[in-house]
Amino acid sequence: MQAQVLLSELRSNLVSHVIGLPDNASAALFSLLNSKEEPRLLTVTREGEAFAIASGLWVGGKNPIVLVQNTGLLESGDGLRGTIIRMQIPIVCLVTYRGYSTIAKAGLTPVRGSVSPEFLSRPDLDSVALMTEPTLKAWGLSYDFLLKPEDRYKVSAAFNQAKALSQPAVLLIPGELTSG
Amino acid sequence: MLTKDEFIRPLAHHRKNEIVITSMGMVRPWAKHSDHILDFAVADSAMGHAADFALGVALARPHQTVICLNGDGSMLMNLGTLVTIAQSGAENLVLFVIQNECYEITGNQPVPGATQIDYVLLAHGAGIRRAYFFDDPQVYSASLPDLLHGTGPVLAAVRVEAGNEKPLHRSQAEPARYLRPSLAESAHSFREILSKQDEPDIVSS
Repeated sequence: MQAQVLLSELRSNLVSHVIGLPDNASAALFSLLNSKEEPRLLTVTREGEAFAIASGLWVGGKNPIVLVQNTGLLESGDGLRGTIIRMQIPIVCLVTYRGYSTIAKAGLTPVRGSVSPEFLSRPDLDSVALMTEPTLKAWGLSYDFLLKPEDRYKVSAAFNQAKALSQPAVLLIPGELTSG
Repeated sequence: MLTKDEFIRPLAHHRKNEIVITSMGMVRPWAKHSDHILDFAVADSAMGHAADFALGVALARPHQTVICLNGDGSMLMNLGTLVTIAQSGAENLVLFVIQNECYEITGNQPVPGATQIDYVLLAHGAGIRRAYFFDDPQVYSASLPDLLHGTGPVLAAVRVEAGNEKPLHRSQAEPARYLRPSLAESAHSFREILSKQDEPDIVSS
């Protein structure tokens, strides 16, 4: 998916702030956000901060999103639990899915069941990819995928779902956002 | 060193329409002096995330001062936030670090580096220019108008004696109204309160 397309979707959903940390997959979107006034980009030092800052922004009347890598999602554990989940805050979280291609290549998608130490230590698999969906399920977070350009409608759907349920909604981004 | 009362009473006196966000061992002591519609407790949540939550509120409401009462144990869990605060440009955030040098809620075990940490130095290193340390109640009290009304972000580390606060349970037994609902109810109603602040003729309680 093009970063510009995703940014257009964020704008059409009136996103005020993007709080997050860049990775290779989200670099094109961060680059775009850095050059724009709206939505405002705030880069954090650790991903757990992003969920707390976004919660404060929402309580203050804004409409932020969180943009982090799946490694950062795991790092965020208690920050995520204790803020947007505990506060039932309808924030959309964009999570880039590092290692998705490694598990897809091994025929392990969609990820099902428990993850064993044997899989988690396999050098051909990125263990964070194996952990991502089971972790989201364990935290009770609903999620969907932004796999191809036609999936852009899922952005608005995620916002609508978050508002309807008064809960965070996650959109997983398995591929690299392109700048073209 | 200040007593909790010497820390809170003058702050509650000087506080007008500022938002006050409390956490951990400061939640109930502050609530004893204040049950204001602009009080919010980041409690029953995630330890270490009061300062960054307060930053979010401050960024959302740039024309309103946001005061955060954070413990030193909580601050140590998330020192990177000092850098985020500095680079965010939030001029309306006043972050108090209550230096009681221990984890009061869990029985006063000492925090790492309890007596050695220089929060002013940490703040300056992170890029927060206005950072102060207080261990004298008179100097602290006299400095409050400047702390609350100058251009921030401001970090004020205050050496306060430890007490024996227990965790918040968010029940009807809590004396302050805003500590009774669940954290979710509290967050949603606080958003509503803040949105009404933007309307004319707001009446504070």
